[in-house]
This record gives sequence, C-alpha cells and structure tokens, in this order.
Amino acid sequence: MSHLTDLYRTASFLLRDPHEAEDLIQETYLEAWKSFHRFELGTNCRAWLFKIMFHRLHHVRRRLLKTSRVITIDAQEGQDELAAEPVVPQEIRDEDVLNALEKVAVEFREIVLLADVEEFSYKEIAETLKIPLGTVMSRLSRGRKLLRQELAEVARSYGINPRTKQAGAAETA
Amino acid sequence: MNNLSFDSKRCGRIRQQLDSYLSNELLVETASEVVDHLESCESCSRDLESRMRLRDALQRAVANRPSPDSLRAHVLRKLRESQPRSFARVTVKRWCLGFASVAVVLASLFAAQWFNLRRGEQLIGSILKLGITDHLICAIKDHNYPELANPPDQIREKLGPRYAPLLQVVQRLPGFEVLEGHVCSIPGSDRKFVHFITRGQGTVLSVILTERNGARLPAGKFLASAESAGLSIYADHLSGMEIAGFESAQYFAFVVSDLSQHEIVQLARGLAPALNEKLHTIALLLTPNANDWLAKSVSLQILRETNQCNEKRRCEVQERQQNG
Repeated sequence: MSHLTDLYRTASFLLRDPHEAEDLIQETYLEAWKSFHRFELGTNCRAWLFKIMFHRLHHVRRRLLKTSRVITIDAQEGQDELAAEPVVPQEIRDEDVLNALEKVAVEFREIVLLADVEEFSYKEIAETLKIPLGTVMSRLSRGRKLLRQELAEVARSYGINPRTKQAGAAETA
Repeated sequence: MNNLSFDSKRCGRIRQQLDSYLSNELLVETASEVVDHLESCESCSRDLESRMRLRDALQRAVANRPSPDSLRAHVLRKLRESQPRSFARVTVKRWCLGFASVAVVLASLFAAQWFNLRRGEQLIGSILKLGITDHLICAIKDHNYPELANPPDQIREKLGPRYAPLLQVVQRLPGFEVLEGHVCSIPGSDRKFVHFITRGQGTVLSVILTERNGARLPAGKFLASAESAGLSIYADHLSGMEIAGFESAQYFAFVVSDLSQHEIVQLARGLAPALNEKLHTIALLLTPNANDWLAKSVSLQILRETNQCNEKRRCEVQERQQNG
C-alpha cells in the first residue's frame, strides 16, 4: 500500500470532505483487490490505482458536478497568452497555495494535481481521466493559469500587489 | 515597430509552449527552440521562473498536508470485511491447514537436505582426510616408493588394466617424476585409492583417485576463480597438507602435497582435463554397453571437443584479460 498517501492526498483535494476522500480510497483498494487479476505485471501500479480511483470518483462526483461551477475554455485562450499574465509572489505560504487551489474548478484542479504534484505524463493523465490528450494539455494550461490568478488574488488581499506583467510588446515599448 | 511586433509574436508562441516545456512533454527540437528564446528573452524567462516557483510551492504544500494515521488500518479493515464471513472462515481454515502442510513438508525437506548436506560434508571430509592419510601413510611414513622410479611397465602392472592408462597422464605433471603407482587402501577403511607417488620441486606429491559412488563435493570448497576446461577445481587444507582436485563423472581426483595452495591448484588445473578424459574412458569401459565401440568413440570425440572448446574459451578469456 505504498501509494496510499498519494491517492488520499489527491482525493482530499477533489472531495472537500475528508471522510468522503477516505471512503473513496477504501473503495479504490477494494476494487483493486478484486480486479487484481486484470493488472498487468510490469506495468505502472501507481497509474493503475489512480485510474481506478478516478473511475470511482466519477460516480461519486456525478451529482456534485451538476451543481459545480463549470468553466468553459476560452477559444481565444491560446492567443491571449501575453494579455495579463498574473505573477506568482516570491514568497508563497502553503496555506495560500492550497486556498488558491481549492478555488480552481475541479476539472482543472484534478489535472494540475496529476501533472504537477503526482507528475504523471500527459498520456497517463489522458488514460486515467479517459479524455483526449489535447484536452489534457488545454485543461492543464488553463488550470495553471487559474491557479496563478487565484494566488495573485490571495496576495492582493494581503495588501501585496504583485507586479502584473503586460504584453511583451508593451513592456518592450 | 516591425521588430517589436515580431518579438511579441515570438513570445506569444513560446509562452504557449511553456506549460508543455514545464511538464517535459516537448519534442527535443521544440524544447531547444524554447531554451534558445528563454536565453535571450528576460520577460519569458521570468514567466517560466514564476510558473516553476508555483509548481514547487504546490508540490511542497500538498506534500505537507498530513493524511490520517488510521487510513491504512481502515483500508485493511475494509478489505477484510469485504470477504463473506462463511467464506472467510472456510478460507482461513483451509489456509491454516494449507500453510501447516506446506510448513511440515518444507521442514522435512529442509531437514532431509540439511542431513544430506551434513552427511555429504562428513563423507567428503572423510574422503579428503583418507586421501591425505593415504598420502601421509603410504607415501611419506611407509615410504612406499623407490629412490629410483619404478619402470612404467611395472607401474602399469600394479595398477591393472583398468587404471594403467592413467599413468601417461600423470607422467605429464611438469617438473615431477612418477616413482610409483598402485591401488591401495588404508587400515580401517575399505575405500580403494589409485595412488601415484611423484617427486619434484624438492618434495613428494601424490595424485590420488577414488570412486565417488554418487557423492558430491560441497560447493563451498570449490574455488570460484579456478576452473580448467570447464571443470571446477576445489581446494582444502588438512593435516598440514594442501589438497586440490576435481570431480569427474565417477571419480574424485586430487593432488596432495606440502607445496603452497597456489602451486597445488595450478598442478590440479593442469592435470584435470586429460585426467577427466581418461577417467571417462574408464567409466565407458565399465558400462554394460562396453562392446558398443561406436558409441564410445563418438562419446569420447564429443568429450575431447568439449575439452578443446573449453580450453580455447579459457585462452580467449586470458587473452582478453591481458589485453584489457
């Protein structure tokens, strides 16, 4: 059960109630134990467990998603890179990052956690969440940006005004 | 203005790649292009540094969040509870019985193996000891050899037709003269020893052979580094004497003397291939199909080729070691 902590950590950031997260982990291990014959020896056990957990999570979350905030990805996102890039403060406290993370919509948050914390590859994330590779890339990009924005907001609420970068052209000008 | 517009476009394109660059998902060529740009663009470089800082902070913050101590216990309890009670009881009983049976079988096998090993070690120890005793009594104490070497024909006669062919092999021992050869035993043991007494390098050296009767040498006594034509050489030190030799299909063969272990091992290595071949011939002559000369000659040819092949391989290894 060496991946127990990793799984719980991810679950606890996706299901705000710690008890729900713990239940999810128990169900994940039970499912893994029952379907262990399907696990291909030599493949990534950690990725397999995450896949099971997200499969379970999908059922748990279905009702929650109906009421959750859904953010549509702006079609102009890619062209808007230089518009107003929020700058991450130099000193970041753990609680500030976690508060900012909680404010990011769950469909982006899960990808940020899988990519940046658990360090799964795009391909592994796509297989785990059963979404196309392109969606992984766009959601990760959006999720990271939302996190930067939320963190900048947190910093601003403390009276810190992180320098906001303007477009490269404007800066150079 | 045109330059500024070009830079802006380039920065925009690079920043679209920064997320994949951060995740190490870019192709080498694209990553190289990003690196080149970052080296010359302070703005994009600062952006990347900011993203990396956030990622590190996120990893640290998530890792620092504790998970409940009871989590592992709860998961294990859940797994236990998931088994039907009756099934669990039966399974536990069966498992217990299974484990007990396996444990008994394993213990018996282990004990048998241990006793065999002990018995084997004792047997080997006694054979080696008897071999050395034979050398000490027959060659050293009783001085059962003449000052001038016995004529080869006389030695062959003493050895009998079965072991006479071995003489020409022992005669090849470099720097040693074969003084005597006979079949002997020592008081208190019915084990027969084919015993050659040789003299050289200022000492007396015995070449002794005795039938294995299914016994094997304990693995620990083999010298990992010493091998001759595919035969493992073993060595030991008993009663102030050095002993080195090998085991053929039917016989133990060893060299005993008060020379150094290194010298004894070298002599044993030199003697082993030819002696093994002769012993193989002797074994073939004693088989029920002794009249099948064709089978014997083919078998001998194979053995000869194997020895040559092993010798060639050993030479190649030595050459490689010398060159490299």
